Amino acid sequence: MEEVKNNSGQNLGIAALITAILTFVLAVIPCVGLIAIIPGIVAIVLGSVALSQANRDNSPHGVALAGLIIGIIAIMISFSQIFVARKIANHADKWPKQIENIVNDVQDNVMKDLEDANISIKVESNGDTVKIVTTPDKRNKEQTLEDLEKGNSTVNDTVKVKK
Amino acid sequence: MKKETVQSMTLLKLKNSVAQIKLRNEPYLKINIVLAGVILLIMAYSGIFSPEKDNYPVVCIHEKITGEPCVSCGISHSFSLILRGRVDEAYQWNRYGMRVFLFFAGQLILRIIFSFLYSRYTTTSKQLILFDIVGSSVLFLVTFMPFLTYIFKYC
Repeated sequence: MEEVKNNSGQNLGIAALITAILTFVLAVIPCVGLIAIIPGIVAIVLGSVALSQANRDNSPHGVALAGLIIGIIAIMISFSQIFVARKIANHADKWPKQIENIVNDVQDNVMKDLEDANISIKVESNGDTVKIVTTPDKRNKEQTLEDLEKGNSTVNDTVKVKK
Repeated sequence: MKKETVQSMTLLKLKNSVAQIKLRNEPYLKINIVLAGVILLIMAYSGIFSPEKDNYPVVCIHEKITGEPCVSCGISHSFSLILRGRVDEAYQWNRYGMRVFLFFAGQLILRIIFSFLYSRYTTTSKQLILFDIVGSSVLFLVTFMPFLTYIFKYC
């Protein structure tokens, strides 16, 4: 009768150790790491029960203890996946905004460079030379553009109707 | 002739009962048998589900939460392709797939060899278990180091 009790404790210990080993393998695989929490809890429960039975019956408790320890380490790794996922999710939220900021910065820099640039275009054809030079005088350019628009708008917008 | 047959039958039954008693008292052998069974189940899973149909029941939870693929994504595809002999494609799905597959295949062989050695050489059983624990732990760390690095990079 006593032998049966010892065996049952040992069987629980073996079950705990096997579950703990499987939990450990699952826990280090990021895809299924979070699922490993469930078998981890099972391993810890089995290990605890097996350990208490082994202590009560004075039978060897090495397997149960090993199962309990591996189960605890595995569940800790599995729990760490939650933090990993949260950190990556936080990073992922920030990524689009960061990309948008970078694009805006690049756009601003390019526009600024173009505004401040002295652009000189020289075209030579059959001895004739045409040279176009623009200066970074933005205010003058805007004024010229406005004048041109005002001066031409009345002419361009009016359509003569023949009767 | 009949007497010899009866004797051999009795001997076989005796051997079986001795083996059963041994197995009952040996947690190491039980653990090895169960782990070998689990590895065979993993192989069967990879064999049953095909990469063409893409009907794998286990999806990456990590990717579902974060929206980003993780370091172990595509490992089921990789396993299936390795079992079908398409190693190049397996590398494309997951570059650590072959490494993990070799670990499991190696463990399957080791479980059988260690169980045989354990039941054959009973005097060195403790040394054998110790060697198995240390060896398997080292193999595990070497195999899963990229995954562990990935996990602890964000911790």
